[in-house]
Amino acid sequence: MKKRGKGIACMFYPIGFTSYPNPGSAFVKVNQDGTAVVFTGATDMGQGSTTVLAQIAAEELGIRYEHITMVTGDTEKTPFDLGSVASRVTYIVGNAVKRAAHEAKRILLEVAAEKLGVSPDGLCAGDGRIYIKGLPERFLEISEVARIAQMGKGRPPIGSGSFNPITTFLDPETGHGKPYGAYVFATQIAEVEVDTETGVVEVLRIAAAHDCGKAINPMLVEGQVEGGISMGVGYGLFEEMVLDNGVVKNPQFTDYILPTSLDMPEIRVGIIERPEPTGPFGAKGIGEPSLLPTAPAIINAIYDAVGVRIRELPATPEKILKALRETDQGKA
Amino acid sequence: MNGSAIGVSRPRHDAVLQVTGRALYGDDYERPGMLYAKALRSRHPHARILKVDTSRALKLAGVKAVITAEDVPKNRYGFTHLDQPVLADDKVRYMGDVVAVVAATSWDAATEALDQIEVDYLPLPAVFDPVEAMKPDAPKVHGDSNIVSHIKIRSGDVTEGWRISSEIVEDVMRTQVVEHCHIEPHAALAELTDDGTYVIWSTVQRPFLIASDLSRILQYPMNKIRVITPAIGGGFGGKNEITIEPYVCLLAAKTKRPVKMVLSREEEFCGTTVRHPYIVKYRSGVTKDGKIVARQVEIISDSGAYVSWGESTLSKASIHAAGPYFIPHVRIDGYLVYTNNSIGGAMRGFGVPQVGFAYECHMDNIAAVIGMDPLEFRYKNLLTDNSSLPTGQVLEFVTLRETVRKAVELVGWKKEVEWE
Repeated sequence: MKKRGKGIACMFYPIGFTSYPNPGSAFVKVNQDGTAVVFTGATDMGQGSTTVLAQIAAEELGIRYEHITMVTGDTEKTPFDLGSVASRVTYIVGNAVKRAAHEAKRILLEVAAEKLGVSPDGLCAGDGRIYIKGLPERFLEISEVARIAQMGKGRPPIGSGSFNPITTFLDPETGHGKPYGAYVFATQIAEVEVDTETGVVEVLRIAAAHDCGKAINPMLVEGQVEGGISMGVGYGLFEEMVLDNGVVKNPQFTDYILPTSLDMPEIRVGIIERPEPTGPFGAKGIGEPSLLPTAPAIINAIYDAVGVRIRELPATPEKILKALRETDQGKA
Repeated sequence: MNGSAIGVSRPRHDAVLQVTGRALYGDDYERPGMLYAKALRSRHPHARILKVDTSRALKLAGVKAVITAEDVPKNRYGFTHLDQPVLADDKVRYMGDVVAVVAATSWDAATEALDQIEVDYLPLPAVFDPVEAMKPDAPKVHGDSNIVSHIKIRSGDVTEGWRISSEIVEDVMRTQVVEHCHIEPHAALAELTDDGTYVIWSTVQRPFLIASDLSRILQYPMNKIRVITPAIGGGFGGKNEITIEPYVCLLAAKTKRPVKMVLSREEEFCGTTVRHPYIVKYRSGVTKDGKIVARQVEIISDSGAYVSWGESTLSKASIHAAGPYFIPHVRIDGYLVYTNNSIGGAMRGFGVPQVGFAYECHMDNIAAVIGMDPLEFRYKNLLTDNSSLPTGQVLEFVTLRETVRKAVELVGWKKEVEWE
């Protein structure tokens, strides 16, 4: 018989290293044609962080996204970054990029202010232009301002920036302290169908509601959530590296079972945005948190469906059948 | 006009390179005259190394160099504990420990040479169960105790919490070992340039950590070490620390030729870090109206043969072990334990998926005991703005309740929910 159930799991998760300083840094230069290059040590392993950093630079500089070039992950060419870990790149390196871009922009604003006859604080940058706040029709092209700044005034529009969240170490006896700068939150609900004859679990759908402060790039946030859920499905139902007296018994993908697209449920992603004042444009992070609620939501859904509690991951068909038999015997 | 770049689903900056197959990954990099490196790993989970003889391997056609522990200027690394050798010297402590690395003119020549390296081992008693490893008479992996660290979080007074509880619920949960399974394995290529700079292309998440670790291991200045990351096929924490980079650098220096190394999938499983398996004990006290008033948690984390990120992982797990709920009386104890198993390292979620599985299943069990709906039970206890955590940190901008309502809006719940 196939039985359906629903399970819920909530989580909170921090952005950045626990207590230890974990700074990020960036350089920005605006070329005299109004394009720009951002240099940062942060690398992209596929999650899309470099794209997000380019969007942050574009927004701060007022230069089109397509006109930003990213130079990343080269310890000789780029300033220090701690690394693409701890869900920290958008929040920490994003802030560093924003600060570096702000410094370069300041030079452009000062040069433009002279031409437009206003104070630099009365100007803003957007869409490749520098314009008077509230009077967008009075503008200069950033390309023109950058050329004047560099070749006319002798002031190349460059900037550098770094950011490190304010944290403290924990007291070794009480664990008290402030280990993180910001937290994110999420809830997932899983709906499963359990075959009581085979113990096989099919995850039908998962709702994933995640707060990431501000989604700089909603498509990439959804991508991270979907990827995290696939990892959570594997953690909950399939994956286990079996060690026997220290020897790995299944060191290949024939016996170590990863979820495939056929195992993936329908996923409904809900992005909650409550801007974090210390984040770049309110953003925090999403990388790791996306995986966290998936496995317990599935295990709780199995409990709801067939009344068996799996206490050891993964919830393989064998474990579910064994638990079902024990439950039956208990009733008999 | 402003705001045009934020909140917009821009295509990835490298989208065209990726979809046309032109993005260059670790193993795509090549240099003229490049050699290929393969590692010889331990044959025992725990053994003393008596002798390593590479002379027969060095005589083989195509073999250009073999490195052992003697070739490493500073043969220890680690984030909180410098306990891990680049190449095993006195002992091997798990099956993944590397004893020697060969550089040859082809992958086949390097692989064949591994069989010709003779290693004399004296097998030692080993320990694989972290609970056994905590006992005083267990075989010791390092030093005189296998208990590496004890993390403590204390808030309120759990004794008082038990006193005011109407129900106390206990659970023991276990999580398994999983591998990162990033689709691209570790790959590194090193070249020593004419001006004495090591240029290393490596598939790492933390190029600056690799550069500073290499500087210490090789005893070489950082301005002469350049780490470049190519396109990377996933990391999930598995590419969070130094692995094969010292081998390719040492072999490049020894042979005066560029050297490349790429791990096989089997080596990814057997010789790189994994997610720590945890044994987690929960005990929670609740009042009649469904408020959690006390929670005690004990975590035992199997670190494997070395600490790697084990202590920081356990610390993060402990900080979050009470879950996203306001609980006045909390006591958390986390133990990190050496065994002769694979090394637990950084992996997406960093200890929190283990405790997260445990605390969320525990929450459902408590709800069942007190006869409350699991969602309503959570909703009643969730952290809100200005809630303080067991660390004393006060949270702002808490949206847990919004996420619950959103998730219900997306797929519904078992019953109609009346929101408080």
